[in-house]
Amino acid sequence: MTGWGALLAAEWRKVTTTKMVWVLTLVAVALSTVNVVPTVLLASGTISGGVETLGEGQLQNPAFITTVLSQAGTGALFALILGVIAMTGEYRHMTITSTFLAEPRRGRVVTAKMVLYAGLGAAMAVVVVLAVAVATYATLLPFDHTPLTAAMVGRVFVGAVIGMALYAILGVSIGALIRSQVAAIIAVVVWVLLLEAIVSALLPAVAKWLPGGALSAAMDVGMRADMTGSFTTADVLPGWAAIGLLLVYAVVFAAIASRTTIRRDIT
Amino acid sequence: MPPVAPTELRVEGLTKVFRKGVKAVDDLSFDVQPGRVTGFLGPNGSGKTTTLRCLLGLVTPTSGRALVGSHAYTAPPQPMSTVGASLEASGFHPGRSGRNHLRVVATTMGIADTRVDEVLHLVGLTPAARRRVVEYSLGMRQRLALAAALLADPPVLILDEPTNGLDPEGIAWLRAFLQERARQGGTVLVSSHLLSEVQQTVDDVVIIRKGSLVHAGPLSELGGDGAAPVVVRTPDPERLVDALGAGAQVTRRPDGAIVVTGASPAEVGHAAFLAGCELHELSAGMRDLERVFLELTGDQS
Repeated sequence: MTGWGALLAAEWRKVTTTKMVWVLTLVAVALSTVNVVPTVLLASGTISGGVETLGEGQLQNPAFITTVLSQAGTGALFALILGVIAMTGEYRHMTITSTFLAEPRRGRVVTAKMVLYAGLGAAMAVVVVLAVAVATYATLLPFDHTPLTAAMVGRVFVGAVIGMALYAILGVSIGALIRSQVAAIIAVVVWVLLLEAIVSALLPAVAKWLPGGALSAAMDVGMRADMTGSFTTADVLPGWAAIGLLLVYAVVFAAIASRTTIRRDIT
Repeated sequence: MPPVAPTELRVEGLTKVFRKGVKAVDDLSFDVQPGRVTGFLGPNGSGKTTTLRCLLGLVTPTSGRALVGSHAYTAPPQPMSTVGASLEASGFHPGRSGRNHLRVVATTMGIADTRVDEVLHLVGLTPAARRRVVEYSLGMRQRLALAAALLADPPVLILDEPTNGLDPEGIAWLRAFLQERARQGGTVLVSSHLLSEVQQTVDDVVIIRKGSLVHAGPLSELGGDGAAPVVVRTPDPERLVDALGAGAQVTRRPDGAIVVTGASPAEVGHAAFLAGCELHELSAGMRDLERVFLELTGDQS
Protein backbone atom coordinates (compact mmCIF):
# COMPACT_ATOMS: atom_id res chain seq x y z
CA MET A 1 0.00 0.00 0.00
CA THR A 2 1.28 3.40 -0.85
CA GLY A 3 1.27 5.24 2.42
CA TRP A 4 2.23 8.80 3.09
CA GLY A 5 5.56 7.60 4.45
CA ALA A 6 6.44 5.97 1.14
CA LEU A 7 5.35 9.04 -0.81
CA LEU A 8 7.41 11.36 1.38
CA ALA A 9 10.39 9.02 1.18
CA ALA A 10 10.14 9.00 -2.62
CA GLU A 11 9.98 12.81 -2.70
CA TRP A 12 12.99 12.97 -0.42
CA ARG A 13 14.92 10.71 -2.77
CA LYS A 14 14.02 12.97 -5.69
CA VAL A 15 15.60 15.82 -3.72
CA THR A 16 18.78 14.00 -2.73
CA THR A 17 19.41 12.64 -6.21
CA THR A 18 19.62 16.03 -7.91
CA LYS A 19 21.57 19.20 -7.10
CA MET A 20 18.66 21.62 -7.27
CA VAL A 21 18.22 22.20 -3.52
CA TRP A 22 21.93 22.75 -2.88
CA VAL A 23 22.28 25.20 -5.75
CA LEU A 24 19.24 27.22 -4.71
CA THR A 25 20.37 27.31 -1.07
CA LEU A 26 23.79 28.52 -2.14
CA VAL A 27 22.26 31.31 -4.23
CA ALA A 28 19.92 32.24 -1.36
CA VAL A 29 22.87 32.43 1.04
CA ALA A 30 24.90 34.53 -1.39
CA LEU A 31 22.13 37.02 -2.10
CA SER A 32 21.07 37.30 1.55
CA THR A 33 24.57 37.99 2.87
CA VAL A 34 25.78 40.21 0.04
CA ASN A 35 24.07 43.30 1.47
CA VAL A 36 25.22 42.79 5.03
CA VAL A 37 28.74 44.11 4.62
CA PRO A 38 27.96 47.35 2.73
CA THR A 39 25.01 48.11 5.02
CA VAL A 40 27.13 47.86 8.15
CA LEU A 41 30.05 49.73 6.59
CA LEU A 42 27.75 52.55 5.51
CA ALA A 43 26.31 52.80 8.99
CA SER A 44 29.76 52.78 10.54
CA GLY A 45 30.86 55.66 8.37
CA THR A 46 33.73 53.58 6.98
CA ILE A 47 32.40 54.14 3.53
CA SER A 48 30.04 56.81 2.41
CA GLY A 49 27.10 56.23 0.17
CA GLY A 50 24.32 58.36 -1.18
CA VAL A 51 22.37 58.10 2.06
CA GLU A 52 24.22 60.54 4.25
CA THR A 53 21.80 60.28 7.12
CA LEU A 54 22.52 56.61 7.68
CA GLY A 55 25.14 57.78 10.13
CA GLU A 56 27.35 56.21 12.74
CA GLY A 57 24.79 56.32 15.46
CA GLN A 58 22.87 53.49 13.84
CA LEU A 59 25.32 50.88 15.08
CA GLN A 60 24.04 51.67 18.57
CA ASN A 61 20.45 51.08 17.48
CA PRO A 62 19.23 47.49 18.13
CA ALA A 63 16.51 47.96 15.51
CA PHE A 64 19.20 48.63 12.92
CA ILE A 65 20.98 45.39 13.79
CA THR A 66 17.69 43.51 13.52
CA THR A 67 17.13 45.03 10.11
CA VAL A 68 20.55 43.87 8.94
CA LEU A 69 19.73 40.36 10.17
CA SER A 70 16.40 40.49 8.42
CA GLN A 71 18.29 40.43 5.11
CA ALA A 72 17.72 36.71 5.58
CA GLY A 73 14.24 37.44 4.25
CA THR A 74 15.80 37.66 0.78
CA GLY A 75 15.94 33.87 0.98
CA ALA A 76 12.15 33.63 0.89
CA LEU A 77 12.10 34.16 -2.87
CA PHE A 78 14.33 31.12 -3.23
CA ALA A 79 12.11 29.02 -1.00
CA LEU A 80 9.28 30.00 -3.33
CA ILE A 81 11.32 29.07 -6.41
CA LEU A 82 12.35 25.82 -4.71
CA GLY A 83 8.71 24.80 -4.42
CA VAL A 84 7.94 25.92 -7.97
CA ILE A 85 10.83 23.89 -9.42
CA ALA A 86 9.90 20.84 -7.33
CA MET A 87 6.51 20.65 -9.00
CA THR A 88 7.21 22.01 -12.49
CA GLY A 89 10.39 19.96 -12.84
CA GLU A 90 8.23 16.83 -12.94
CA TYR A 91 6.43 18.20 -15.98
CA ARG A 92 9.56 19.59 -17.57
CA HIS A 93 11.41 16.27 -17.48
CA MET A 94 8.22 14.22 -17.84
CA THR A 95 9.03 12.33 -14.67
CA ILE A 96 5.41 13.14 -13.83
CA THR A 97 4.53 10.09 -15.93
CA SER A 98 6.33 7.64 -13.66
CA THR A 99 5.27 9.61 -10.59
CA PHE A 100 1.58 9.30 -11.48
CA LEU A 101 1.98 5.69 -12.62
CA ALA A 102 3.33 4.85 -9.17
CA GLU A 103 0.71 6.96 -7.38
CA PRO A 104 -2.34 7.71 -9.54
CA ARG A 105 -4.01 9.66 -6.74
CA ARG A 106 -2.52 12.88 -7.98
CA GLY A 107 -3.65 15.08 -5.12
CA ARG A 108 -1.63 12.94 -2.71
CA VAL A 109 1.51 13.55 -4.76
CA VAL A 110 1.03 17.31 -4.58
CA THR A 111 0.24 17.15 -0.86
CA ALA A 112 3.33 15.05 -0.14
CA LYS A 113 5.44 17.59 -2.01
CA MET A 114 3.93 20.46 -0.03
CA VAL A 115 4.74 18.72 3.26
CA LEU A 116 8.28 17.79 2.30
CA TYR A 117 9.11 21.16 0.78
CA ALA A 118 7.82 22.95 3.88
CA GLY A 119 10.61 21.12 5.67
CA LEU A 120 13.14 21.97 2.99
CA GLY A 121 12.11 25.63 3.01
CA ALA A 122 12.63 25.66 6.77
CA ALA A 123 16.01 23.96 6.41
CA MET A 124 17.03 26.51 3.79
CA ALA A 125 16.01 29.24 6.26
CA VAL A 126 18.26 27.76 8.95
CA VAL A 127 21.26 27.88 6.64
CA VAL A 128 20.48 31.39 5.37
CA VAL A 129 19.90 32.89 8.84
CA LEU A 130 23.08 31.35 10.21
CA ALA A 131 25.06 32.69 7.26
CA VAL A 132 23.58 36.18 7.67
CA ALA A 133 24.18 36.14 11.45
CA VAL A 134 27.81 35.12 11.00
CA ALA A 135 28.33 37.75 8.29
CA THR A 136 26.73 40.43 10.47
CA TYR A 137 28.75 39.47 13.52
CA ALA A 138 32.01 39.45 11.57
CA THR A 139 31.36 42.79 9.89
CA LEU A 140 30.41 44.47 13.19
CA LEU A 141 33.53 43.24 15.00
CA PRO A 142 35.85 46.18 14.27
CA PHE A 143 33.25 48.76 15.30
CA ASP A 144 31.74 50.03 18.51
CA HIS A 145 28.19 48.71 18.35
CA THR A 146 25.25 47.61 20.41
CA PRO A 147 25.57 43.88 21.13
CA LEU A 148 24.30 41.39 18.59
CA THR A 149 22.19 39.26 20.89
CA ALA A 150 20.91 35.72 20.59
CA ALA A 151 17.43 37.13 21.03
CA MET A 152 17.79 39.25 17.88
CA VAL A 153 19.03 36.29 15.85
CA GLY A 154 16.39 34.05 17.40
CA ARG A 155 13.57 36.34 16.38
CA VAL A 156 14.73 36.51 12.75
CA PHE A 157 15.45 32.78 12.86
CA VAL A 158 11.94 31.79 13.93
CA GLY A 159 10.40 34.19 11.45
CA ALA A 160 12.54 32.98 8.54
CA VAL A 161 11.91 29.30 9.29
CA ILE A 162 8.14 29.80 9.38
CA GLY A 163 8.07 32.21 6.45
CA MET A 164 10.28 30.15 4.14
CA ALA A 165 8.45 26.92 4.98
CA LEU A 166 5.20 28.61 3.99
CA TYR A 167 6.72 30.11 0.85
CA ALA A 168 8.00 26.70 -0.27
CA ILE A 169 4.47 25.29 0.16
CA LEU A 170 3.12 28.24 -1.81
CA GLY A 171 5.71 27.54 -4.53
CA VAL A 172 4.59 23.91 -4.90
CA SER A 173 0.96 24.99 -5.25
CA ILE A 174 1.82 27.66 -7.82
CA GLY A 175 3.91 25.12 -9.73
CA ALA A 176 1.00 22.69 -9.73
CA LEU A 177 -1.22 25.43 -11.10
CA ILE A 178 1.10 26.75 -13.82
CA ARG A 179 3.04 23.53 -14.72
CA SER A 180 5.37 25.30 -17.16
CA GLN A 181 8.63 25.83 -15.28
CA VAL A 182 9.76 28.92 -17.13
CA ALA A 183 6.33 30.56 -16.92
CA ALA A 184 5.96 29.75 -13.22
CA ILE A 185 9.40 31.09 -12.27
CA ILE A 186 8.87 34.26 -14.26
CA ALA A 187 5.45 34.65 -12.63
CA VAL A 188 6.75 34.40 -9.06
CA VAL A 189 9.80 36.59 -9.68
CA VAL A 190 7.73 39.31 -11.35
CA TRP A 191 5.17 39.01 -8.58
CA VAL A 192 7.63 39.22 -5.69
CA LEU A 193 10.10 41.74 -7.08
CA LEU A 194 7.81 43.94 -9.12
CA LEU A 195 4.07 43.73 -8.50
CA GLU A 196 4.21 43.40 -4.71
CA ALA A 197 6.72 46.23 -4.51
CA ILE A 198 4.42 48.47 -6.54
CA VAL A 199 1.31 47.58 -4.55
CA SER A 200 3.17 47.91 -1.28
CA ALA A 201 4.33 51.42 -2.24
CA LEU A 202 0.98 52.61 -3.55
CA LEU A 203 -1.58 50.67 -1.53
CA PRO A 204 -0.02 49.48 1.74
CA ALA A 205 -3.48 48.62 3.13
CA VAL A 206 -3.90 46.09 0.31
CA ALA A 207 -0.30 44.92 0.32
CA LYS A 208 -0.51 43.50 3.81
CA TRP A 209 -3.09 40.99 2.54
CA LEU A 210 -0.83 39.82 -0.30
CA PRO A 211 1.59 36.89 0.14
CA GLY A 212 4.57 39.21 0.48
CA GLY A 213 2.87 41.32 3.13
CA ALA A 214 1.82 38.20 5.00
CA LEU A 215 5.36 36.90 4.69
CA SER A 216 6.77 40.05 6.29
CA ALA A 217 4.31 39.68 9.13
CA ALA A 218 4.94 35.96 9.50
CA MET A 219 8.66 36.62 9.66
CA ASP A 220 7.86 39.06 12.44
CA VAL A 221 10.37 41.55 11.21
CA GLY A 222 7.95 44.36 11.72
CA MET A 223 10.62 47.00 11.73
CA ARG A 224 11.76 48.34 8.42
CA ALA A 225 14.26 51.04 7.68
CA ASP A 226 12.89 53.64 5.35
CA MET A 227 15.14 55.65 3.11
CA THR A 228 15.79 58.30 5.76
CA GLY A 229 17.16 55.76 8.17
CA SER A 230 14.41 56.16 10.72
CA PHE A 231 12.51 53.06 11.74
CA THR A 232 8.82 52.59 11.63
CA THR A 233 6.63 49.70 12.48
CA ALA A 234 5.30 48.48 9.17
CA ASP A 235 1.59 48.07 8.73
CA VAL A 236 1.30 44.29 8.81
CA LEU A 237 -1.10 41.59 10.02
CA PRO A 238 -0.58 39.89 13.38
CA GLY A 239 1.87 36.97 13.07
CA TRP A 240 -0.59 34.10 13.43
CA ALA A 241 -3.07 35.69 11.06
CA ALA A 242 -0.29 36.11 8.52
CA ILE A 243 0.75 32.45 8.83
CA GLY A 244 -2.87 31.42 8.38
CA LEU A 245 -3.23 33.71 5.37
CA LEU A 246 -0.16 32.21 3.66
CA LEU A 247 -1.51 28.71 4.29
CA VAL A 248 -4.84 29.77 2.82
CA TYR A 249 -3.09 31.07 -0.31
CA ALA A 250 -1.21 27.77 -0.68
CA VAL A 251 -4.30 25.62 -0.08
CA VAL A 252 -6.42 27.70 -2.45
CA PHE A 253 -3.83 27.50 -5.25
CA ALA A 254 -3.39 23.77 -4.66
CA ALA A 255 -7.16 23.22 -4.59
CA ILE A 256 -7.60 25.10 -7.86
CA ALA A 257 -4.70 23.13 -9.34
CA SER A 258 -6.10 19.79 -8.25
CA ARG A 259 -9.40 20.62 -9.94
CA THR A 260 -7.78 21.92 -13.12
CA THR A 261 -4.16 21.53 -14.18
CA ILE A 262 -3.28 18.49 -12.08
CA ARG A 263 -6.20 16.58 -13.59
CA ARG A 264 -5.12 17.30 -17.12
CA ASP A 265 -3.95 14.58 -19.45
CA ILE A 266 -0.30 13.61 -19.20
CA THR A 267 0.74 13.27 -22.82
CA MET B 1 6.13 -13.56 -11.37
CA PRO B 2 3.79 -13.37 -8.37
CA PRO B 3 0.81 -15.69 -8.21
CA VAL B 4 -1.78 -13.26 -9.52
CA ALA B 5 -4.91 -14.25 -11.40
CA PRO B 6 -4.50 -13.83 -15.15
CA THR B 7 -5.31 -10.26 -16.02
CA GLU B 8 -6.71 -9.17 -19.33
CA LEU B 9 -6.83 -5.67 -20.72
CA ARG B 10 -10.11 -4.41 -22.09
CA VAL B 11 -10.69 -1.35 -24.17
CA GLU B 12 -14.40 -0.63 -24.64
CA GLY B 13 -15.70 2.02 -27.00
CA LEU B 14 -12.76 4.23 -26.17
CA THR B 15 -12.87 7.72 -27.64
CA LYS B 16 -10.47 10.55 -26.93
CA VAL B 17 -10.87 14.01 -28.33
CA PHE B 18 -8.12 16.38 -27.25
CA ARG B 19 -8.81 19.96 -26.37
CA LYS B 20 -7.80 21.24 -29.77
CA GLY B 21 -10.55 19.07 -31.25
CA VAL B 22 -8.20 16.36 -32.48
CA LYS B 23 -9.89 12.96 -32.31
CA ALA B 24 -6.98 10.69 -31.41
CA VAL B 25 -9.02 7.56 -30.62
CA ASP B 26 -12.42 6.85 -32.12
CA ASP B 27 -14.74 4.25 -30.57
CA LEU B 28 -11.98 1.70 -30.16
CA SER B 29 -12.66 -1.73 -28.62
CA PHE B 30 -10.35 -4.70 -28.20
CA ASP B 31 -9.18 -7.22 -25.61
CA VAL B 32 -5.67 -8.28 -24.74
CA GLN B 33 -5.43 -11.83 -23.43
CA PRO B 34 -3.08 -13.16 -20.77
CA GLY B 35 -0.60 -15.81 -21.83
CA ARG B 36 0.00 -14.17 -25.20
CA VAL B 37 2.09 -11.37 -26.60
CA THR B 38 -0.13 -8.86 -28.35
CA GLY B 39 1.19 -6.39 -30.88
CA PHE B 40 -0.57 -3.02 -30.91
CA LEU B 41 0.08 -1.71 -34.38
CA GLY B 42 -0.61 1.34 -36.42
CA PRO B 43 1.23 4.14 -38.18
CA ASN B 44 2.66 7.03 -36.19
CA GLY B 45 -0.15 9.27 -35.02
CA SER B 46 -2.80 6.56 -35.25
CA GLY B 47 -3.66 6.81 -31.54
CA LYS B 48 -1.60 3.99 -30.02
CA THR B 49 0.12 6.05 -27.35
CA THR B 50 -3.12 7.81 -26.43
CA THR B 51 -4.85 4.45 -26.01
CA LEU B 52 -2.03 3.16 -23.80
CA ARG B 53 -2.11 6.34 -21.73
CA CYS B 54 -5.87 5.90 -21.26
CA LEU B 55 -5.22 2.34 -20.06
CA LEU B 56 -2.71 3.73 -17.55
CA GLY B 57 -4.91 6.50 -16.19
CA LEU B 58 -2.69 9.27 -17.54
CA VAL B 59 -5.24 10.43 -20.09
CA THR B 60 -8.96 10.67 -19.31
CA PRO B 61 -11.11 9.19 -22.09
CA THR B 62 -13.75 11.43 -23.64
CA SER B 63 -16.01 8.37 -23.59
CA GLY B 64 -15.65 4.63 -23.22
CA ARG B 65 -13.41 2.72 -20.85
CA ALA B 66 -9.98 1.17 -20.69
CA LEU B 67 -9.71 -1.49 -18.00
CA VAL B 68 -7.03 -3.58 -16.38
CA GLY B 69 -8.84 -6.73 -15.32
CA SER B 70 -12.18 -5.49 -14.04
CA HIS B 71 -11.25 -1.98 -13.00
CA ALA B 72 -9.46 1.19 -14.06
CA TYR B 73 -5.70 1.45 -13.56
CA THR B 74 -6.19 4.23 -11.06
CA ALA B 75 -8.60 2.28 -8.83
CA PRO B 76 -6.33 0.02 -6.72
CA PRO B 77 -3.88 1.64 -4.33
CA GLN B 78 -0.79 0.19 -5.95
CA PRO B 79 -1.36 -0.36 -9.66
CA MET B 80 2.31 -0.82 -10.55
CA SER B 81 2.28 -4.17 -8.79
CA THR B 82 -0.23 -5.31 -11.44
CA VAL B 83 0.86 -3.34 -14.48
CA GLY B 84 4.37 -2.39 -15.50
CA ALA B 85 4.55 0.22 -18.23
CA SER B 86 7.26 1.84 -20.26
CA LEU B 87 5.88 4.77 -22.16
CA GLU B 88 8.36 6.93 -23.93
CA ALA B 89 12.06 7.02 -23.41
CA SER B 90 12.06 10.63 -22.24
CA GLY B 91 10.60 10.58 -18.73
CA PHE B 92 13.82 10.84 -16.76
CA HIS B 93 15.50 13.67 -14.92
CA PRO B 94 18.71 14.14 -16.92
CA GLY B 95 20.83 14.79 -13.84
CA ARG B 96 19.69 11.70 -11.99
CA SER B 97 21.45 8.37 -12.46
CA GLY B 98 19.53 5.44 -13.89
CA ARG B 99 19.79 3.64 -10.58
CA ASN B 100 18.50 6.65 -8.66
CA HIS B 101 15.56 7.00 -11.04
CA LEU B 102 14.58 3.44 -10.22
CA ARG B 103 15.17 4.01 -6.49
CA VAL B 104 12.70 6.90 -6.54
CA VAL B 105 10.02 4.78 -8.24
CA ALA B 106 10.78 1.80 -5.99
CA THR B 107 10.46 3.92 -2.85
CA THR B 108 6.91 4.93 -3.73
CA MET B 109 6.01 1.26 -3.96
CA GLY B 110 7.96 0.23 -0.87
CA ILE B 111 10.31 -1.92 -2.96
CA ALA B 112 13.83 -2.50 -1.65
CA ASP B 113 16.93 -1.20 -3.42
CA THR B 114 18.14 -4.78 -3.91
CA ARG B 115 15.30 -5.24 -6.40
CA VAL B 116 16.50 -2.10 -8.20
CA ASP B 117 19.88 -3.72 -8.72
CA GLU B 118 18.16 -6.93 -9.87
CA VAL B 119 16.17 -5.24 -12.62
CA LEU B 120 19.21 -3.21 -13.68
CA HIS B 121 21.07 -6.48 -14.09
CA LEU B 122 18.11 -8.05 -15.89
CA VAL B 123 18.04 -5.34 -18.58
CA GLY B 124 21.83 -5.19 -18.83
CA LEU B 125 22.27 -1.69 -17.40
CA THR B 126 24.43 -2.56 -14.39
CA PRO B 127 27.62 -1.04 -15.86
CA ALA B 128 25.83 2.29 -16.51
CA ALA B 129 23.64 2.24 -13.38
CA ARG B 130 25.41 5.12 -11.66
CA ARG B 131 25.82 7.32 -14.70
CA ARG B 132 23.51 10.25 -15.22
CA VAL B 133 20.66 9.62 -17.63
CA VAL B 134 21.76 12.60 -19.76
CA GLU B 135 24.67 10.40 -20.88
CA TYR B 136 22.41 7.50 -21.87
CA SER B 137 21.75 6.48 -25.48
CA LEU B 138 18.18 5.97 -26.66
CA GLY B 139 18.62 2.23 -26.30
CA MET B 140 19.82 2.61 -22.71
CA ARG B 141 16.81 4.78 -21.90
CA GLN B 142 14.58 2.06 -23.33
CA ARG B 143 16.26 -0.46 -21.07
CA LEU B 144 15.85 1.83 -18.08
CA ALA B 145 12.15 2.33 -18.83
CA LEU B 146 11.74 -1.44 -19.08
CA ALA B 147 13.59 -1.89 -15.78
CA ALA B 148 11.13 0.51 -14.10
CA ALA B 149 8.20 -1.47 -15.53
CA LEU B 150 9.64 -4.68 -14.09
CA LEU B 151 10.30 -3.35 -10.58
CA ALA B 152 7.24 -4.95 -8.98
CA ASP B 153 7.41 -8.00 -11.28
CA PRO B 154 3.86 -7.33 -12.49
CA PRO B 155 1.72 -9.85 -14.41
CA VAL B 156 0.88 -7.22 -17.06
CA LEU B 157 3.40 -5.37 -19.22
CA ILE B 158 2.48 -2.44 -21.44
CA LEU B 159 5.37 -1.28 -23.58
CA ASP B 160 5.17 1.61 -26.04
CA GLU B 161 7.54 1.17 -28.98
CA PRO B 162 10.04 -0.75 -26.83
CA THR B 163 12.28 -1.66 -29.76
CA ASN B 164 13.00 1.98 -30.68
CA GLY B 165 16.70 2.56 -30.35
CA LEU B 166 17.48 -1.02 -29.33
CA ASP B 167 20.30 -2.77 -31.14
CA PRO B 168 19.58 -6.15 -32.84
CA GLU B 169 20.86 -8.03 -29.80
CA GLY B 170 18.59 -6.03 -27.55
CA ILE B 171 15.61 -6.69 -29.79
CA ALA B 172 16.34 -10.43 -29.80
CA TRP B 173 16.69 -10.41 -26.02
CA LEU B 174 13.43 -8.48 -25.59
CA ARG B 175 11.62 -10.88 -27.91
CA ALA B 176 12.69 -13.92 -25.89
CA PHE B 177 11.98 -12.14 -22.62
CA LEU B 178 8.43 -11.09 -23.58
CA GLN B 179 7.58 -14.51 -24.96
CA GLU B 180 8.74 -16.08 -21.72
CA ARG B 181 6.58 -13.66 -19.69
CA ALA B 182 3.57 -14.65 -21.80
CA ARG B 183 4.38 -18.35 -21.48
CA GLN B 184 4.27 -17.93 -17.71
CA GLY B 185 0.78 -16.51 -17.98
CA GLY B 186 1.63 -12.83 -18.19
CA THR B 187 -0.20 -10.32 -20.34
CA VAL B 188 2.06 -8.44 -22.74
CA LEU B 189 0.98 -5.53 -24.94
CA VAL B 190 3.66 -4.08 -27.21
CA SER B 191 3.04 -1.18 -29.55
CA SER B 192 4.91 -0.54 -32.75
CA HIS B 193 4.44 1.36 -35.96
CA LEU B 194 6.22 -1.41 -37.86
CA LEU B 195 4.80 -4.89 -38.08
CA SER B 196 8.21 -6.24 -39.00
CA GLU B 197 9.63 -5.06 -35.66
CA VAL B 198 7.31 -7.26 -33.66
CA GLN B 199 6.25 -9.87 -36.21
CA GLN B 200 8.46 -12.55 -34.70
CA THR B 201 7.42 -11.67 -31.16
CA VAL B 202 3.66 -11.42 -31.12
CA ASP B 203 0.90 -14.00 -31.03
CA ASP B 204 -1.97 -11.57 -31.54
CA VAL B 205 -2.25 -8.26 -33.31
CA VAL B 206 -4.48 -5.26 -32.77
CA ILE B 207 -4.18 -2.91 -35.72
CA ILE B 208 -5.57 0.60 -35.66
CA ARG B 209 -5.70 3.38 -38.16
CA LYS B 210 -6.70 6.97 -37.39
CA GLY B 211 -7.87 5.91 -33.95
CA SER B 212 -10.18 3.14 -35.16
CA LEU B 213 -9.77 -0.62 -35.10
CA VAL B 214 -9.04 -2.20 -38.46
CA HIS B 215 -8.10 -5.70 -37.34
CA ALA B 216 -7.77 -7.73 -34.14
CA GLY B 217 -6.92 -11.39 -33.87
CA PRO B 218 -4.11 -13.92 -34.03
CA LEU B 219 -1.17 -12.95 -36.22
CA SER B 220 -1.63 -16.18 -38.15
CA GLU B 221 -5.02 -14.97 -39.37
CA LEU B 222 -3.63 -11.75 -40.72
CA GLY B 223 -3.61 -11.78 -44.50
CA GLY B 224 -6.65 -13.99 -45.06
CA ASP B 225 -6.05 -17.68 -45.82
CA GLY B 226 -2.49 -17.47 -44.61
CA ALA B 227 -1.06 -18.68 -47.91
CA ALA B 228 2.21 -16.84 -47.85
CA PRO B 229 3.89 -16.28 -51.21
CA VAL B 230 7.21 -17.85 -52.00
CA VAL B 231 9.97 -15.74 -53.47
CA VAL B 232 12.32 -17.57 -55.83
CA ARG B 233 15.35 -16.49 -57.78
CA THR B 234 16.73 -18.65 -60.52
CA PRO B 235 18.83 -18.10 -63.67
CA ASP B 236 16.31 -20.25 -65.58
CA PRO B 237 12.83 -18.91 -64.71
CA GLU B 238 11.06 -20.52 -67.70
CA ARG B 239 12.02 -24.01 -66.60
CA LEU B 240 10.84 -23.38 -63.06
CA VAL B 241 7.49 -21.99 -64.19
CA ASP B 242 6.97 -25.08 -66.37
CA ALA B 243 7.94 -27.32 -63.47
CA LEU B 244 5.50 -25.72 -61.08
CA GLY B 245 2.53 -26.58 -63.25
CA ALA B 246 -0.92 -25.03 -63.23
CA GLY B 247 -1.59 -25.21 -59.48
CA ALA B 248 0.56 -22.22 -58.66
CA GLN B 249 0.17 -18.59 -59.70
CA VAL B 250 3.40 -16.98 -60.77
CA THR B 251 4.21 -13.32 -61.03
CA ARG B 252 7.52 -11.81 -61.99
CA ARG B 253 8.91 -8.91 -60.13
CA PRO B 254 10.88 -6.17 -61.91
CA ASP B 255 14.03 -7.21 -60.04
CA GLY B 256 13.86 -10.65 -61.65
CA ALA B 257 12.49 -12.57 -58.69
CA ILE B 258 9.54 -14.87 -59.17
CA VAL B 259 6.72 -14.72 -56.66
CA VAL B 260 4.76 -17.95 -56.35
CA THR B 261 1.43 -18.21 -54.59
CA GLY B 262 -0.54 -21.40 -54.04
CA ALA B 263 2.50 -23.52 -53.22
CA SER B 264 4.59 -23.91 -50.11
CA PRO B 265 8.36 -23.28 -50.13
CA ALA B 266 8.85 -27.07 -49.82
CA GLU B 267 6.69 -27.71 -52.89
CA VAL B 268 8.48 -25.06 -54.91
CA GLY B 269 11.87 -26.39 -53.85
CA HIS B 270 10.85 -29.96 -54.69
CA ALA B 271 9.59 -28.98 -58.12
CA ALA B 272 12.81 -27.11 -58.83
CA PHE B 273 14.88 -30.07 -57.70
CA LEU B 274 12.99 -32.51 -59.94
CA ALA B 275 13.35 -30.16 -62.88
CA GLY B 276 17.06 -29.76 -62.22
CA CYS B 277 16.57 -26.02 -61.92
CA GLU B 278 19.30 -24.02 -60.17
CA LEU B 279 17.96 -21.78 -57.34
CA HIS B 280 19.62 -18.67 -55.91
CA GLU B 281 16.91 -17.83 -53.42
CA LEU B 282 13.92 -19.60 -51.97
CA SER B 283 12.16 -17.76 -49.20
CA ALA B 284 8.77 -17.76 -47.55
CA GLY B 285 7.35 -14.30 -48.04
CA MET B 286 6.55 -12.72 -44.71
CA ARG B 287 6.62 -9.60 -46.87
CA ASP B 288 3.03 -10.34 -47.59
CA LEU B 289 2.08 -9.50 -44.00
CA GLU B 290 3.77 -6.17 -44.28
CA ARG B 291 1.77 -5.52 -47.44
CA VAL B 292 -1.46 -6.52 -45.69
CA PHE B 293 -0.49 -4.25 -42.82
CA LEU B 294 0.18 -1.34 -45.13
CA GLU B 295 -3.10 -1.91 -46.94
CA LEU B 296 -4.96 -1.98 -43.64
CA THR B 297 -3.34 1.11 -42.28
CA GLY B 298 -2.54 3.11 -45.38
CA ASP B 299 -4.26 6.22 -46.65
CA GLN B 300 -5.13 4.83 -50.07
CA SER B 301 -8.23 2.98 -48.89
